[in-house]
Amino acid sequence: MKRILIIDDAATVRLYHRGILENAGFTVVEAVNGLEALEHVANTVFDLYLVDINMPKLDGYGFLRELRSKDIPQAPAIMVSTEAAVNDQKLAYASGANLYLIKPVRPQRLLSHVLTLLGLTLPNPDHSL
Amino acid sequence: MTLAVVNVSPIANKKFHSLLIKTKSEIEMALTKAASQPTTIEDERQRIRDQAGLLIALADSNPLVRRWAARDLLTYSNVSAALVERLLIETEPSVIEVILTTLTRIGDECAIEGLIRCLRTENAMLRNAAIEAMKLLPDEIAPFISHLLNDPDPDVRIFTVDVLESLRHPQVESWLIRVITEDAHLNVCGAAVDLLGEVGSECARPALLALKQRFPEEPYIQFAADLALTRIAAG
Amino acid sequence: MAEPLTINDEDFLKFREFFYRKTGILFEDSKRYFVDKRLLERMNATASENFRSYFTMLRFQTSGEELQTLINAMTVNETYFFREEYQFQCLVNSMLTEIIAHRKTEIPIRIWSVPSSSGEEPYGIAIYLLEYWPQLRNWDIEIISSDIDTSILNRARHGRYSARAVQYMPTILLNKYFHRDGEYFQINQELRDAVEFTRINVTDAAEMRTHRNFDVIFCRNLLIYFDDLSRKQTAESFYDALNPGGFICLGHSESMSRISALFRVRKFPEAIVYQKPWGMK
Repeated sequence: MKRILIIDDAATVRLYHRGILENAGFTVVEAVNGLEALEHVANTVFDLYLVDINMPKLDGYGFLRELRSKDIPQAPAIMVSTEAAVNDQKLAYASGANLYLIKPVRPQRLLSHVLTLLGLTLPNPDHSL
Repeated sequence: MTLAVVNVSPIANKKFHSLLIKTKSEIEMALTKAASQPTTIEDERQRIRDQAGLLIALADSNPLVRRWAARDLLTYSNVSAALVERLLIETEPSVIEVILTTLTRIGDECAIEGLIRCLRTENAMLRNAAIEAMKLLPDEIAPFISHLLNDPDPDVRIFTVDVLESLRHPQVESWLIRVITEDAHLNVCGAAVDLLGEVGSECARPALLALKQRFPEEPYIQFAADLALTRIAAG
Repeated sequence: MAEPLTINDEDFLKFREFFYRKTGILFEDSKRYFVDKRLLERMNATASENFRSYFTMLRFQTSGEELQTLINAMTVNETYFFREEYQFQCLVNSMLTEIIAHRKTEIPIRIWSVPSSSGEEPYGIAIYLLEYWPQLRNWDIEIISSDIDTSILNRARHGRYSARAVQYMPTILLNKYFHRDGEYFQINQELRDAVEFTRINVTDAAEMRTHRNFDVIFCRNLLIYFDDLSRKQTAESFYDALNPGGFICLGHSESMSRISALFRVRKFPEAIVYQKPWGMK
């Protein structure tokens, strides 16, 4: 089963993303900031990261930079943010993101990107999202 | 084998003991070694530690010196402006942390205004650290909240809602209700609903229902508002 | 008659998120009974009408006093020898190994145990090193232990313990490092001399300046009792008290990731600890 780490300081956003991903059969782990996410990374292997930008202690960019510098099997990361500015997108990709999405992300959109990044297809095409 | 105690180098004018398990001759050797190799301390306090000296030290090339300067400036008055100026150009995260801690301890109007300036910076680390500092100053920040919630930049409004999260202030709920009623920006409302799930009472119910009407096609808003409504009903 | 106090599922989730954010302690669903019980006790003690009114007080009380009381109720704080022993194992098997591998000179390795409480932790560290760290033949170690409370420091210096405090100490070590004194266990003079006890208020930056150049700091179950700002400030002082590459060990329910961004998590086989990164000034 694929394991996804959701990193966001907003509890409702974590729940929302968790619901979408768990419905599709993923195992989800949550972290409230980049440092806590690094703690999880030290313990568990993840297949994908869903990363907010603005968080206390260590923001999304900082998390990705540290993650990418680690000598561990790397997994794709989706950065989600409220910001549409080109600079943020550039910074996200420079920090190691594979995809940059603007919040709020619709369930079907999130899921299709997650599946693509993981090289999977929808388990059930009739499955209503 | 013996267990012995030796005095080693004086550190900060204090002799500490050493725990050793060695043969007699080894202990003697250890004594000599310890005496001939004192623990070196990088003397970051060589400058004159008055206000002027500390303000100069705040721009030192060594981050350790800058951290100590930022810490020690707490005991002086009217230093917020200088700390804020340094904060806005400081690049070393550890120094940023200590400056923010000192500014939080000072908490005067100049410090608050400095923190608010950080909300507009491009440096995400500084911005987020400033938000954290503001959360620790509820009484001092409160007079600025209304104004910040009207800021033309939606990001500043989102950050302001973030600040409300930890604010132990009686007006938090009414501010949040105002945001979800009046703010046109989806994500500002989204941030406010998240928090209403925690602090909302029956007073927030009509505004939450109205918000759902206002963004009928937005799954996140529907989800977050429903969650807040469930929690309010359960409480 | 008032309705009996209850905590429903949504209350629990709301409380859990809040408590997690404030303390970094996350209660799994399996802890529900424990959490409810403590919450109900506090709701009764504060004469709260229901969960909502209690939660509102908890959240908005300016002094933060109730949150502190609740944290105390939710965390069991007992000191005894070899408490959270896995961290001592981590010290001798992993942390010290890394420290000496980076060490270019033979200056003593310095370990700080704070708060000292009645001395179980620093003496426990000393015993652990003597028993399980063969490198002690080659390296000098200084153990400093501090507390804000001078009366408890005197007790720590004295080193006399109840049977309860030494209950997890293997008999062979108990016989080796203690002698029986009526119903008490007196720690050996050699160990008493091996630990330096000092008074310090860790939230006072000026006092903290006198304690520096440490390689490992044990600070377990202390920061959790501080308010957010004092906790952050203390972590910053610890950062400057540590040598580059130095480690800090917190209590098992504490996480530096909620306190300060200065440290990085290090996972060793025995424990998760926090580190001032090598090369940081």
